[in-house]
Amino acid sequence: MTAKIKEFPGISLNEQDFTDGKILFNFDKLNGLYAWDTGIGIGSYLASLKNGVILGSHCRTCRKVVVPPRTICEWCFRPMDEFVPLKDTGVVNTFSLCYVTWDVQRIKDPEIPAVINIDGASPMHGIMHMLGEVDPQGVKIGMRVQAVWKPANERQGSINDILYFKPIKEK
Amino acid sequence: MTLLKRNPNAPVTWQGELPVRNRYTYGLAGEKFFRTLKDEGRILGTHCPHCDVTYVPATIFCERCLAKLDEWVDVGTSGEVNTYTFLHVNLDGSSREKPEIIAFVRFADGGLIHRVGEINPDQLEIGMIVQAVFKPTVERIGSILDIDYFKPV
Repeated sequence: MTAKIKEFPGISLNEQDFTDGKILFNFDKLNGLYAWDTGIGIGSYLASLKNGVILGSHCRTCRKVVVPPRTICEWCFRPMDEFVPLKDTGVVNTFSLCYVTWDVQRIKDPEIPAVINIDGASPMHGIMHMLGEVDPQGVKIGMRVQAVWKPANERQGSINDILYFKPIKEK
Repeated sequence: MTLLKRNPNAPVTWQGELPVRNRYTYGLAGEKFFRTLKDEGRILGTHCPHCDVTYVPATIFCERCLAKLDEWVDVGTSGEVNTYTFLHVNLDGSSREKPEIIAFVRFADGGLIHRVGEINPDQLEIGMIVQAVFKPTVERIGSILDIDYFKPV
């Protein structure tokens, strides 16, 4: 349908037209504040991130360690038994090279989100985070990575207390 | 041990803000209407010769016969109070000492909703002629609030 239309009616605008005052407009900022209950598991997870520890939880029946920690086991539906501190190292499970940011800006150096299987958790259990200090073309599935933390006094109990994961240099 | 107790040191909520911003452009007729309001302090309408209706604020199409309108008319800065209301509560819910007067001011076959000022609330009547009081030219931004309020003639 759109292939048949050579020229679309209307006036196209770019950012310059707004800053130069070529077009009148009304700007509005809607109230988008929210508060999301962390629950017991994620609350403890965020609190321990502040202390520089990635926390998981363990089910004795299924012998599973999941991360982020959950309070109920997904396999046996029993309450999980204990929180376990995990290492801040892991293995790249999967990754992507993003040349477009969340607000649709094109970038030259890609952001590299990845799922990282955390050491100490059950196989194929990990968290999603960013990779850094790495050549985008050199990222491989199975690569060993380590968390780079914010300085302790800047941490605020957020997943962003880990800045990114960087490759561990093999000796 | 089961994990049924909250860690007292753990955050209870995760808080954030969704960045919701918008820009509304006024369209072809709106652009000319607000541009004239801003630069010249005049209120424009468009006239449909087929239906003999003058739209205020200006529209680019006649909503009765859907014809394109290009006959622009200056409707002056005085209109008639068609209806009004007193606002005793602010936008945030707090109560106002002096009520704000909001009126529908009729121009030609349309009109503008705006504030009425410089008047004792008891003296306001339907049918009263009120005139637009504009902000100083430098303060105008191309918004309906470039008219500060309407005052009785």
